[in-house]
Amino acid sequence: MNLHRFTEREKKDADLAEEIESHLAHEQDTNADRGLEPEEARRQARLKFGNPLTVREGVWRYRSLPWVDDIWRDFRFVLRSLAKTPGFAAIAILVIAVGIGANTAVFSVINAVLLKPLSYPDPQSLVQLRNLNPHGSNPGSSVPKFNIWHQQSSVFQYVAGYDQGGAGLNLTGGNDPEQVQGIHVTADYFRLFGAPILAGRTFTAAEDSPNGGHVVVLSYGLWKRRFGGNSKIVGSTIQLEGQPYLVVGVIGRGFVTEPAGDLWLPYQFDLTTQDQAHYFFTAARLKPGVTLPMANAQLKLAADQFRRVYPAGILGPQDSFGVVSLQEAIVGDTRTSLLVLLGAVGLVLLIACANVANLLLIRATARKRELATRAALGAGRGHIIRQLLTESLVISLSGGLLGLILGVVGVRVLLAVGPAGIPRIGEDGSAVTLDSNVLLFTFGVSVITGILFGLLPAIGASHPNITTTLNESSNRSGVGFRSGKLRSLLVISEMALALVLVIGAALLIRTFLKLQAVDPGFETRNVLTMTMAISAPRFQQTLGVAQVIHDGTERLNAIPGVVTSAASCCLPLQGGFGLPFDIVGRPKGSDRWTGGGGYDSVSWSYFDTFKIPIRRGRSFTEHDDGSAPGVVIINEALAKQYWPKGDPLKDRLLIAAGVGPAFADPPRQIIGVVGDVHNGSLEENPFPMMYVPVAQMPDKMTALNSRIAPLWWIIRTQVEPHTLIKPISAALRDVSGGLPVAHVRSMDEIVILTTSRQRFNMLLLTIFGASALLMAAIGIYGVMAYSVQQRTQEIGVRMALGAQVGNIRNMVVRQGMTLALIGVVLGVGGAFWLTHFIAGFLFGVKAWDPMAFIATPLLLSMVALLAVWIPARRATRVDPMTALRFE
Amino acid sequence: MASRKTPAAGDMLQGTLDMLILRTLVMGPAHGHTIAQVIEHTSENALEVEQGSLYPALHRLEDRGLLSSAWGVSENNRKAKFYSLTARGRKHLIAETSRWRQMTRAIGLILGEPAE
Repeated sequence: MNLHRFTEREKKDADLAEEIESHLAHEQDTNADRGLEPEEARRQARLKFGNPLTVREGVWRYRSLPWVDDIWRDFRFVLRSLAKTPGFAAIAILVIAVGIGANTAVFSVINAVLLKPLSYPDPQSLVQLRNLNPHGSNPGSSVPKFNIWHQQSSVFQYVAGYDQGGAGLNLTGGNDPEQVQGIHVTADYFRLFGAPILAGRTFTAAEDSPNGGHVVVLSYGLWKRRFGGNSKIVGSTIQLEGQPYLVVGVIGRGFVTEPAGDLWLPYQFDLTTQDQAHYFFTAARLKPGVTLPMANAQLKLAADQFRRVYPAGILGPQDSFGVVSLQEAIVGDTRTSLLVLLGAVGLVLLIACANVANLLLIRATARKRELATRAALGAGRGHIIRQLLTESLVISLSGGLLGLILGVVGVRVLLAVGPAGIPRIGEDGSAVTLDSNVLLFTFGVSVITGILFGLLPAIGASHPNITTTLNESSNRSGVGFRSGKLRSLLVISEMALALVLVIGAALLIRTFLKLQAVDPGFETRNVLTMTMAISAPRFQQTLGVAQVIHDGTERLNAIPGVVTSAASCCLPLQGGFGLPFDIVGRPKGSDRWTGGGGYDSVSWSYFDTFKIPIRRGRSFTEHDDGSAPGVVIINEALAKQYWPKGDPLKDRLLIAAGVGPAFADPPRQIIGVVGDVHNGSLEENPFPMMYVPVAQMPDKMTALNSRIAPLWWIIRTQVEPHTLIKPISAALRDVSGGLPVAHVRSMDEIVILTTSRQRFNMLLLTIFGASALLMAAIGIYGVMAYSVQQRTQEIGVRMALGAQVGNIRNMVVRQGMTLALIGVVLGVGGAFWLTHFIAGFLFGVKAWDPMAFIATPLLLSMVALLAVWIPARRATRVDPMTALRFE
Repeated sequence: MASRKTPAAGDMLQGTLDMLILRTLVMGPAHGHTIAQVIEHTSENALEVEQGSLYPALHRLEDRGLLSSAWGVSENNRKAKFYSLTARGRKHLIAETSRWRQMTRAIGLILGEPAE
């Protein structure tokens, strides 16, 4: 309504003018009728009407929106004045664009990972069940625990177990076998997550019990891709591992799991089992009105109940159960790392603001006379501030727009170049999208930025002393003390902030280098690895697995370029299973077991292939099979912990006694000690390990293993390993009866993958630190260069009075470096405090690492010196005659 | 930039002028000059206003949808803009008139005048 009135006002005004004319004519007629002369009649009419212009103005004003008018006028003025100084405009916009772009990039990742709710209905009531111990919590579930959790119906609406589809399944039938991600779930899984059912149904309780038959639910993606979106697929069978599976349903599009799966199979738990193995996760949906603390309180009772039912030692007296929100469980420790990045990128933006504020101060000084003239002509102080703020907003919003583009492109490039191992961002960061959150963030940041860097200069410039300014004869009206001080403050804070960032970057770089220098305990070069899904029935027995490993190793070793090959349950650096053990004959007091350690089943040539050194005793041979006496090899860490002085080779280990029937295993003779390997990750110290020959695994354990994890093939080559992928996978497919391989990677690639988080953080913080350093350098250069320019005359006088070139230069350098050094000192103080936030990301480096805290200030001072040196040199080239004549 | 605040008395006057205009148009469409003359006569010249001040009021009322306007030919055979009351304007006038009556009656009671 208002706007309409506003836009129509030109037309309406013309209309009104005509109307007034008509009114006057009528009045004139009336007057003429009374016998007045035409001229007098006209005069009287006008007199009676009043001033037509006032009337029109009144209506015009009533139709106008004053602020729109004013802002439009200011805006046009700003565009003109920026166009007159394109260099200034370009630099200011670019600096802001870099700052906002970096913020947009980091925020878009944070938006995808932390802010966007999970895509399931009512995601707040989804929780993950956890085991609590005094050191923290972990999400592993065993069937007995699942059973007890499932009974807590006072707090949970649904409880479901699921895995992450680790093993992979071979989708056979047709010419093109394919390895797919099959996620094992319990029947309530789909109801719990509110999965949309596109066709058919999900599993019934009967199908999700032992001997429930072979049934499968397909994901939308697989259904479209592999089965052409044919809805008749429901009720027909597909081939998995050569076995027919009845398709009972298809889940709708948009149901995304983390990690993504292609199809779902029922877990078919035997709920009466005493099997204490932890091999899946459990999620639950809280009943309406139930809060996390309520659920936690109930689970504490459940833990007591568990302790009463099951033998002592399985759940320690200190341990308990609890829940965390599912989103938190998925995001994990990524939260801290992202928030640190946001903090760092915020500092970059602050520096950018300080830089542009500096430019604006300089510009305001140059425009002093212009502003004073405007003030003299009646512009109010508020008016001048508003106009200068409009200018900053035009700069910051243009910068924001450019930054948005930079950020969106930048985050794509970054996620492509350095995969960060961040959850929830999808394939290559496809879930990191430009949505209204990101747009709003960038817009908000742009506005705040504009006010932040514009307000100080605007207020400073808005109370000019009109008479003195106008009376000053030259256009170089001297560096006002006030604005000079303000600029010094800005430069000092820039230096301080940059120092904090660069120290942070230095710490992460040192961390990364230390990680690179860690000896993983085996030779990573020229090793190719790949997985083979072995869930087919013949691999449910040890003999079947041993057979395929035997045949495969033989075939692989025959390939030219292959040195040796092996197979195992797990790879170094990727974690694995753990089990408790007893040392036969050693008293264990009140403890349930003597100790525990990692448990890897490996083929005989495993240590050879990885070049893991045998420290004592012997390695496995092909003859350590099911018919030979049980043997085990331990690593040095385990030997040191349990035989600090004695000889482990004399002892026997009883592994996993009483853990469950699946793990029943006679004692094994320790036959060797091998070097330590980083099994978890490069940052963690190697933990105690037991290695058992695959061919000697108890059948039931093999069955469990084959179900939940694939078999890893490890091939050491003479040549670049990737060149052998084709013959190797062909050979493996051949010996396994057509099983495909997946996850083909060299060990070097796996090392890179395991350090990808550190690499990503380091890369980003280095980019941020470098840009901060550059901006700070530009800032200090700008201030000194301007100050030299302003003082040309003074320097000329000094030189005319006999000052030496060296004196002049030192004077400028001293002034600049004083600012820089104050900034450095403040920055060191700030960094001491702030680096504690990244202490958790550091490895082998202390948060107050002396190297970083000495080298970085030195580096910064040198850069500052360079930035100051250039204007100092310029000062020495001032020609006294020119300088003085200039006046 | 200077914006003068209209005093409260002016507000009341404006409201009154609005009512007078609406009241005038009950008889039928009229152009600005006629409205001005009718108001002048019926209000016994109590409202000594310049005729020009009528126009902002007319435009405001039209914007509020109480009046509509159209160009036409006057009794003097001149071009003139004729205003007429809309349905909303008629309703508004009735509401305002009764409000006005109630108010004056209340004031009358307070001042001790006998109710009519």
